[in-house]
Amino acid sequence: MSAAMQQATVPAGRARPGKTWSAQLSRRTAVLMVAPLVLAVLLLVVYPIFKLLYDSLTQGDGPGNYVEAVSSKAIRRAFVLTLLNSAAVTVLSLGLGAVLAWTLRLARRRLVTALVWAVVLLPFWMGVVVKNYAFALLLARDGLVNTALRALGIVDEPVQLLYTPWAVIAGMTYTMIPYAVLALYPSMSAVDLELLNASQGLGASRSRAFRSVLLPLVLPGVIAATAIVFAISIGFYVTPVLLGGAQTPFIATVVGDDIFTFFNYPRAAAASVLLLAIALAAIGTAAKAVGFKSLRGGLG
Amino acid sequence: MTTRSGKVGDRLFSLAGRVGAVVAFTFMAAPALFIVVLSFSNDKFIGFPPKTWGLDRYTSVFTSGTWLDPISLSLQVAALAALLALVLVVPAVLGMKRGMLPGAGLIEATAIAPMLFPIAAYAVAMYAVFAEAGLIGTFHGIVLSHAIHAVPLVVIVLSTALDRVRPELELAAMTMGASRARAWVGITLRLLTPAVLGGATLAFVSSFDEAVFITFLGGPGLVTLPKMIFDSVQYGVDPSITAIATILMVVTAGLMLGATQLRKDVR
Repeated sequence: MSAAMQQATVPAGRARPGKTWSAQLSRRTAVLMVAPLVLAVLLLVVYPIFKLLYDSLTQGDGPGNYVEAVSSKAIRRAFVLTLLNSAAVTVLSLGLGAVLAWTLRLARRRLVTALVWAVVLLPFWMGVVVKNYAFALLLARDGLVNTALRALGIVDEPVQLLYTPWAVIAGMTYTMIPYAVLALYPSMSAVDLELLNASQGLGASRSRAFRSVLLPLVLPGVIAATAIVFAISIGFYVTPVLLGGAQTPFIATVVGDDIFTFFNYPRAAAASVLLLAIALAAIGTAAKAVGFKSLRGGLG
Repeated sequence: MTTRSGKVGDRLFSLAGRVGAVVAFTFMAAPALFIVVLSFSNDKFIGFPPKTWGLDRYTSVFTSGTWLDPISLSLQVAALAALLALVLVVPAVLGMKRGMLPGAGLIEATAIAPMLFPIAAYAVAMYAVFAEAGLIGTFHGIVLSHAIHAVPLVVIVLSTALDRVRPELELAAMTMGASRARAWVGITLRLLTPAVLGGATLAFVSSFDEAVFITFLGGPGLVTLPKMIFDSVQYGVDPSITAIATILMVVTAGLMLGATQLRKDVR
């Protein structure tokens, strides 16, 4: 006979006399269980961010680090490039991601659903470096895209695609589409298709049904996805280095060079704080608009 | 008249949607297929379509020696990072969900936050802390950084899963005489096992794939597989990367599908 059976025969009242039954932990046990994670998060998430902020204001030229970072032509250019490219990536990822998420919503056949989910998750499966490697091969001077463009007679000479902002945008969009789909899908799958049928039955055109019925319903998902995709995009390091090269310096590339080539950590810290502030502003705005819950739901 | 132009508009609208879906599908599928096709080529240089077919790229991965050390380092780091992330997160999530701690929401939010940090800025912050603590270029440092990088994923998976395990089940076991520890091990943890394994898999994959922290924190000595691929893509292309990439894709897909399946079992 197992110990569990024997224990189960002991009357409850004798096992724990005088106790009220509750699934709740005593506060002391709960604190002990949470403590290791809290310690790790304090040391490796909170402390690094505060140290970054503190260092950027006290090391080197103090607050002048920010002046230096903003007045440096290279960094200013990198910031503009980073923000513009990330905005383009956000628009493209949301556009293509929305089409894919809606396809998933409408698909009836299991094969279609499985195939679309598979291509949506492919970038996760490929891994960060491999994706960029694939794009580097596709966009090279003698790569498949150039070969196709020449075969179709669109261009006569191979065009420079790699090491341009376009290559970076393509590679980053590929990476961010899964995030966009995962953030959009919950709100799309909650849409009642009858509402769309009803609006069209009442005489609305498809585009009118899209604008006036579908869009308002999925708007929280769209806002959450926009913030998530943009905040992650502005920190990209691997893609700008591999596909953008020296001609397309992202803020991440510049910051890396500041640390490892110019040994100018204070300026790198200032630029990093600015980058974090922009991401927080994007996330904060979205959280205010749709609530923390939608944002958290958008992460999976 | 209005209905006819309306119908034309409708057709155009759904046509645009279909074209968009095909474009998006192709855009997502093409790079992966391209790499897989190239990996089965025996040509000396990479070219599409391949002129000769074969498994040379695969054999050279395992015979050339360049790739085995990075692969073994990546496996070790990923296994330890996943384990550490679990040790930190599993008790914490139980404590937060069953303990009614004030501030539990704040703790969870702070633990998830790094997922939304621009990774480059976070890497600079970690670089400063690691330099201060003498952890740059150390094995333990990399494990630590990968573990904290994986924590958000594990927190999300486990806290979603635990929300579905009803505390009444533990209560029922306890009223029948089981101690709290026994109720947890026998009921809650058993029900959570799929989520724990799923979270561990995601943590493992995220560490195995990590390329930014290792660049900032790894120093010159520690070369994980992503770092090795990163460097060789930057400084000249070794065609056997296509074979490694294909193997990685298949293994990662298998692991992640397994993890998703495990997560579904809890529901």
